[in-house]
This record gives sequence, structure tokens and C-alpha cells, in this order.
Amino acid sequence: MTAIARRIRTIPSWQITLGAALLGLGFLIAAQLASEGPRVRYTSLERTPLVETALDLQAQQESLKEQVLQLRATIQDLEAAGQGGTALTGELNDRLQQARMAAGLVALTGPGVVIRLTDSTLPIPQDGNARDYLVSGQDVLTVVEELWLAGAEAIAVNGERVTVGTAVVDIGGSVLVNSAYLAPPYDVKAIGPATMYEALVASPGFVDFVRNRSETFGLGISYAVLDAVELDAYAGTVNLRYGRVDASPTPGPVASALPSRTP
Amino acid sequence: MRRAPARIALTVVLFLLGFLVVAQLNAGSADQGLTALSVSELTELVANVTTRNNQLREEIATLERQHESVQAAVNRGDTSVGQIQADLDRILGWSGVLPVSGPGVVVTIKGPVPGDAIELLMNELRNAGAEATAIGDIRVVPGVVATGPESSVVLRGVPLADPIVITAVGQAQVLAGSLGRAGGPIAQLNARFPGVDVRVVTLDLVLVPATDRDLTPTLGKPRL
Repeated sequence: MTAIARRIRTIPSWQITLGAALLGLGFLIAAQLASEGPRVRYTSLERTPLVETALDLQAQQESLKEQVLQLRATIQDLEAAGQGGTALTGELNDRLQQARMAAGLVALTGPGVVIRLTDSTLPIPQDGNARDYLVSGQDVLTVVEELWLAGAEAIAVNGERVTVGTAVVDIGGSVLVNSAYLAPPYDVKAIGPATMYEALVASPGFVDFVRNRSETFGLGISYAVLDAVELDAYAGTVNLRYGRVDASPTPGPVASALPSRTP
Repeated sequence: MRRAPARIALTVVLFLLGFLVVAQLNAGSADQGLTALSVSELTELVANVTTRNNQLREEIATLERQHESVQAAVNRGDTSVGQIQADLDRILGWSGVLPVSGPGVVVTIKGPVPGDAIELLMNELRNAGAEATAIGDIRVVPGVVATGPESSVVLRGVPLADPIVITAVGQAQVLAGSLGRAGGPIAQLNARFPGVDVRVVTLDLVLVPATDRDLTPTLGKPRL
């Protein structure tokens, strides 16, 4: 033993450093090769331009959404500036602002919860389906629906506001919300009453979801109850291309157009 | 003399180490999910994002026209009641506060299905561009979720009777095609519940009622 210890002490320090670095290098090369695995399966000439196109389109989308939000803010400021004209204009503007809030076109802050969904870190069995171990569109949709049922009054997923027209789509394990590609992890943020989290975890649907997805496949489901949850405004279209609105009557009290809340 | 080559070797190894650490971290970035998709999945994703981008461009064009109109009214020292009313109606119709009519589909589901199967159909309709939807005579807006087991589906606390009828305004053929495509929601529903009959009828005119829910947030405040 003392001979071995003496031998170790005689090894120059640079050799120890180099040895440690080579060990790290080997580990990283192995990790890099392992992470390339699923991609190799799909390698083809069409893929690279398609990935680039998707990323380019997503970048364009961010810019377009920014333009929509800026234009809405400018119009809102102008309409507010013209409010002095008549009482009718002022009343209409108040109703418009309330309608925008109700539709999800205004960024909100309020008490609520954040549910974070992360892909599983469990090893995938040989006969297992790798996609069962990833967060799917259906998982995101389930959490959104359970939060609505628990009393949420506004929800967003990774910055995409959930509105009347929101679809959650799963394409090969990638999640699209409002046709925007979202990268994991998925943060489902909800503004709602103080009892919302208790109502969520007491829901049989949510309990089943946790059992099926977290306990069986190891999906990460974590939460935070916060005093201030921030939700972005919906930046998509509110135009009806095929539908015709049965127009509202001439302005009256705000309550006549925005009916009272029912449980 | 021995130290110089050792330092060079160490530098090279540490450089490679740093390079691989960065590469490994980048592998966790936004495009990681995309690189795992097949060509057909990527094509579908590109089509989805393109559709949304086109809708956003239409919205920008609408907002620019609206901006010009409001600006002109302000410059004239005028009020823009007509413009504000039109904007209000547009938002109220889209969000569910006003009724909407137009071409669309009526989906009739006969047989016992759970709430999540109804939600699958609703999600597909929204993805296919439905502009307004209702289950029975209840307008579907945020917070309205069909829930419960087979034969006991509840919507806003009200049990839904068999058959369950869904109405959607939108491009009728696209809505029907999306529901009925191979591997789509109707195919999935038929596979899960073989006894259930789902019929989709396209119509030139369907009516979707207004919601009676107050959608205005009470706890959420505008973020400044």
C-alpha cells in the first residue's frame, strides 16, 4: 500500500489534470453521441431545410405578434385620447376595454398557480415508446382543462394565452399552442382564486393524470402557488372570416352586453 | 522540456472539453424538439405555423386600417363611434359574448362517450379554424369544459343528454375534413367506443348562441 501511495505521489500534477480532463472529454463525447441517436434515425436531405424553415417561421411569428400588440396599444391610446368627444364615445371605450380584457387581449397579473411539465428522465424500456416519456399536447390540454375546472379565470402556456379559439396540437411530440411551436418545459400559468390549487389536486381527473403520466412514465409535474402570476396578451387574430356577428344593440349599460357571472 | 508538450496537450484537451460542453448545452435549446421530428411531421408543423403567420398578417392589415380610420377621426376632432362599435362587435362576437352565424358543421354523437372525448373533438374543431362553437345550446368559451365519465358528461354543471350535438361556425368542408381524416378524432373515438355513432353534417348556415358567462377577470388586473 505504501509503495502504491509513494508511486501516486510521484505522478506529476499535470498528468493528473490531463487525466481528469480526458475523463471529462470521454464522458461528453459519449453523451453527445447518445443525444444524436434519435436524430440520426430521421436524417435525410429534406430535413435540414425544413427545420431551418420552421425556426425561421417561428421567428417571423414572434415579430408579427409584436406588431399586432403594438398596433392594438396605439389604437387603444388614440381611442382613449378621443374619449372627450361625447359621453357615448367614452362609454363605448369603456365597454371596448372591458371586452378586450374578457377576450384575453390584455396582459394580466394576479394571484394564481404555475404548473410545470417536464419530460421524463426515466430510462426508456426496450419495448417502450419513447414518446410516452415526453410531455405531449394532450398532457398540456389536460392541465389547462383541469385548471379551468378548478376555477381559473385566465390561462397561458409558455406565454401563449389560452383563448376561445386556442387549440393545443401535438405533432410528433412537439407541442403547438395557438399554432406557435413551444419548446419544453411547459409552464401552464393560471390566474384564479386562492382555492384553485386545492381544487385542482382534489379533482379525480387531475389525480388520474398524475398517476398515469408521472407515476407510470416519470413525467415531471411541479407547481408553485404565487401572489402574482403574469400572463401575456393574446396576439393572434380576432377576425371572423366565415361567421357573422349578430351585432350588439346600441350602447346601453355595460352590464347589458356583458352578462352577469354564473357559477 | 517535458512541460511544454504537456501544456499543449492539456490546452487541446480543455479546448475540446469546452467545445463539447457548449454543444451539449445547445442540444437542449429550442430546436431540439424539431430535430427529432420526421419529414412529414416537420411539414405539418411548418403548415401550422404558416397558417398562424398568415392570420397574423391579416390581423395586422385589419389593425392598420383601423388605425388609419381612428387617426383620421382624431385629426378631424371627430369621435369615431362607428369604428369603436365595429371593433367592439368584432371582439364580442369572437370571444363568445355575441351570437355568431355562418357556414359550418353540426356534429351529432349518439352513444355513451366521456367528457374528454368531447373535448378532443372541440380541440380539433378549433385547430381546423372554427370561429365559434357550442355544445347543445351552450357557447363554448374559456372555462367551459365537458367533463365526466361515459353517459354522465356534464357541461357547466348541466348533464348532457344523448345525443350530444356540437355546432361550429367556420369553413364547413375544412372542419368536416379535419374531424373525419384518417387517424383523426372521430377515428380515435370510434376505436375507443365502437358502439358510438358520430355524424358530421356541413351546412350553409348554422347559429352559435352567445354565452351567458361573464368572462371579465375579477382577480387578474391589467399588467402595465
